[in-house]
Amino acid sequence: MRLVSILFALILGISIIAIPQNEVIAFSDQQITRGAYGDDVIELQARLQYLGFYKSKIDGKFGYNTYWALRNFQEKYGLPVDGVAGTKTKKTIAGYSDYDEKWVKAQLNAGNQFTYYGSIPLDQQVNKGTATGGSGSGSGSGGGSSSGTSNNNGTQTQVPPKYTERDLQLIANAVYGEARGEPYEGQVAVAAVILNRLESPDFPNTISGIIFQPLAFTAVADGQIWLEPNDRAKEAVIDAMNGWDPSENALYYFNPKTATSKWIWSRPQIKQIGEHIFCS
Amino acid sequence: MKTWLVVLTIAVIGLGAYSIDLHGDKEDLQRTVLAQYTDKLTDASEKLSHLQRSVSQSLLFQDEQAIHSELDSVWRLSSEVRSSIANIPIGQELSNEWMNYLGRLGDEAKRTAKTGDYNAWREKMPQVSTNLQSLSDEWSAATVDFYKHNGKMDVWLQQVDNKNPNTNFDKVKDTLKGYGEKDFPLTLSESDWQKKIELKALQDAEITEKEALEKVKYLFPVIKGATFTVTKSSDTAPYPFYHIQFHQGIRLGYVDLTVKGGHLLSYLVERPVDEAKQSQEEILKKAKEYAKKLGMEDVAYVESRENHQAWHVTFARVHPGDNALIYADGVQLKLAKDTGELLGANAMEYIQEETIKPQTAKPIDWKTFFQDDIQVQEVKNIYTDNGQFEQRLCYEVIALRDGKIQETFRVVIDAENHNVLKVEYLT
Repeated sequence: MRLVSILFALILGISIIAIPQNEVIAFSDQQITRGAYGDDVIELQARLQYLGFYKSKIDGKFGYNTYWALRNFQEKYGLPVDGVAGTKTKKTIAGYSDYDEKWVKAQLNAGNQFTYYGSIPLDQQVNKGTATGGSGSGSGSGGGSSSGTSNNNGTQTQVPPKYTERDLQLIANAVYGEARGEPYEGQVAVAAVILNRLESPDFPNTISGIIFQPLAFTAVADGQIWLEPNDRAKEAVIDAMNGWDPSENALYYFNPKTATSKWIWSRPQIKQIGEHIFCS
Repeated sequence: MKTWLVVLTIAVIGLGAYSIDLHGDKEDLQRTVLAQYTDKLTDASEKLSHLQRSVSQSLLFQDEQAIHSELDSVWRLSSEVRSSIANIPIGQELSNEWMNYLGRLGDEAKRTAKTGDYNAWREKMPQVSTNLQSLSDEWSAATVDFYKHNGKMDVWLQQVDNKNPNTNFDKVKDTLKGYGEKDFPLTLSESDWQKKIELKALQDAEITEKEALEKVKYLFPVIKGATFTVTKSSDTAPYPFYHIQFHQGIRLGYVDLTVKGGHLLSYLVERPVDEAKQSQEEILKKAKEYAKKLGMEDVAYVESRENHQAWHVTFARVHPGDNALIYADGVQLKLAKDTGELLGANAMEYIQEETIKPQTAKPIDWKTFFQDDIQVQEVKNIYTDNGQFEQRLCYEVIALRDGKIQETFRVVIDAENHNVLKVEYLT
């Protein structure tokens, strides 16, 4: 028993010495896995890319690409292969890689397309102004600091796989244009109506087709759809995309004070939220 | 005085010129829009004739390959006409009828090509072909005016506006509705699905408004001191429910409960969320506890997504017989990143509870099923919709292609007949 303890202590000591100590302070102390987003994920992706394990875009979203890269790293470095970035895994990654947080964040904020491979000089890994957007401030649960990615411009938001960030942006524009003065519930309901139309055989089968269908939405006709949506409208769309439907399966809504169509009054009504009556 | 007169004259001339310029711009814009609408309308009308011919031609052959070629054309053309019609300002109701009819025709062609049930196609399509011909004629008559307005968009819009019913369009609309019901009646599965989403299966006793409020306070103690406003759903709603809005300090939100049995439909709170303090582990642990507390003891964790303010966590009911996850019976929870408070619960699908028919799972050799460069990483048994409103036992495979870039796919395969029902690209 004593021999085993001595052996264990020896192995532990050697393994601690064996891990390069060039980056002791790294990451936050939280363990992260699939579904997480934020500063810790950015750092994890950058470090995994530095070591050649992660080949995709550094976007702060812990999806499958990050997951496989992490598992491959864990396998190669003799760690338990679980795709979870816990303390030991983070410490090992930090020990073998370098992370220039300032540089990575600068590229993200500038909206540059970039990579972070350790074997290539950084200035050869940037394609300026080619990404779809940058990031603002905020932090994910995986992030221990106050700065990081945000959903301010919709580019760093995680949506269910059947939707895209472009869908989110378009619906948020429609929600903001149509219902920005409505309660939050009413905004989620407007987003849900658009998503319900996507499932209905009576409507076009793309988000864009539904929103820009001639005469379908007032905000398109009066140009209010082009107003920049706020975070509240985007949050409402995220809730709708995740399944919430305060309209209870409605396909239409109208404002009884301003509606001119006789036909819309003939639709079976479901409920009223704020100024909008929702109907099937 | 003279100077003022000169200034005024210049101002009037300037304004006049500006107004003429503006008017010209508006006219140009209108003409551009009208040209695009005309293009779509002409395209729809022409392709409608082609579609009718394709349907008719599909009835010519016994040869499977020849039928397939026509079925492909029917599917493609119906989709193209659908797309063109979606881009013409013809009013919502008429547009809906067209979308529905053409969509069903395309689906029927696709289904026939897949199942090989040509006899059913041959039985149904002669009538559809005749109907399409008459629809095409009516459509031509209704839209002929469009070409007469000499670029006047407002005249057309006045005609299609719902305030001024247009008899030609009303005729097309009524014909479409009639043909739609006869040519493509709802299948049994569709009608079951309709009943399901309308919660027809709920047979519990009705609860009162007071009982509904008590239930809300019990389920969500954080808002038990809130000010509540309760309204009942409209009489025309497919199922009756209580719509309970609340306000408590920084919290604003709503709960919907069914009148029959007081089942939770959904709950959502809006409140400011502070800096994230909860770890992913803590959030998932709390989500499982909330699900239990809401009475959903037969569910298992599916996935979670973190965003700026909250986590969305999804669960699905576990089939008691084979432990496969029933995705259609999903539950979604929303938890705040600062305290882990439950900000939302959506049980709309969970309370619909699918009826699962017994099915068998036949094993698949993944090495021969996928290409050589594909690695199967995970296989899970699930129940999901096969696109025809039937719940099928499926293998959910997470497959990885680890080449120059890593690509991950979620592939859903019917466990019995090995049809691929869904392929999703995961990032």
